[in-house]
Amino acid sequence: MSIRFGDTQFSNGPQAFGMAVVLSEGPLGVTWQHASATCEFLGDVFATRHAKGGQDYSEARHSIIYLVNELLENAIKFRSPGDIEIRCSLEGGNFELLVRNLASRDVASRFQSLLSEVTSRDPGELLIERIEANAADETSSASGLGILTLMNDYGARLGWNFEDAAQESAILLSTHASLTLN
Amino acid sequence: MEIKTADYNVWTEGAVIHYEGTLRLSGTDAYQPILELMQGVLAEKPETVVLDLTQLEFLNSSGINLLAKFTIELRKLPDVKLKVLGSTRIPWQSKSLPNLQKLHKGVELSIT
Repeated sequence: MSIRFGDTQFSNGPQAFGMAVVLSEGPLGVTWQHASATCEFLGDVFATRHAKGGQDYSEARHSIIYLVNELLENAIKFRSPGDIEIRCSLEGGNFELLVRNLASRDVASRFQSLLSEVTSRDPGELLIERIEANAADETSSASGLGILTLMNDYGARLGWNFEDAAQESAILLSTHASLTLN
Repeated sequence: MEIKTADYNVWTEGAVIHYEGTLRLSGTDAYQPILELMQGVLAEKPETVVLDLTQLEFLNSSGINLLAKFTIELRKLPDVKLKVLGSTRIPWQSKSLPNLQKLHKGVELSIT
């Protein structure tokens, strides 16, 4: 069974510049700091590649770092035990990112109801609404803001695919993102 | 008041709050000490509060939520002005700071 939200189509081909990184549950575990270290590394590598065509390094690096960090923070926060797989590619200024991780059925179903709202509304309007709701509720965790800022402030195209995983208690979540770099 | 780590530094000079470095804390709870520092400035009842973000290279969405929350608190205090200083050198600021003006029309935003 597979459930999709948003835009899960990628257009970069096999000749695109690409890289895959896997954050594994090793002896030290996956921690919050891995999101920072990984996004800085991928931002440097892909912005350097992008700037070879004469484009702006700093703007590209910043956008890639923000995108990778927000999606990795979500993966680290909401995942079930297991690896986090990150695939990036760049072709003609189009940066694509896939983040894949396991999530419990419970987390996946709560995330799906958030996504059905996110993908059916204007992201700018919803962003302001969510911020107001978060400010009014002390216990709110501000979830969804990363996705909404990516869509509204960065023009990122996002999509999500939920599939059954090998373990019955978990869902395999693939988050797709693409960003046009200037 | 000052909160200093290897990644970031937040400090106050009167009613000016300075932010420097990279802020990617894990959520609302992790940002609480910074929010308290900001609320401490408000408690002094200044005429104008200034958020100087010109040295804040990165801020994650939880941090953007912190700025938004503080802006909403200021909206409830019409006698206190809020000035936000940003830099065109730092891309997130031109992209995300205008959202603060949508929350509170009185915010004076200057990105130079």
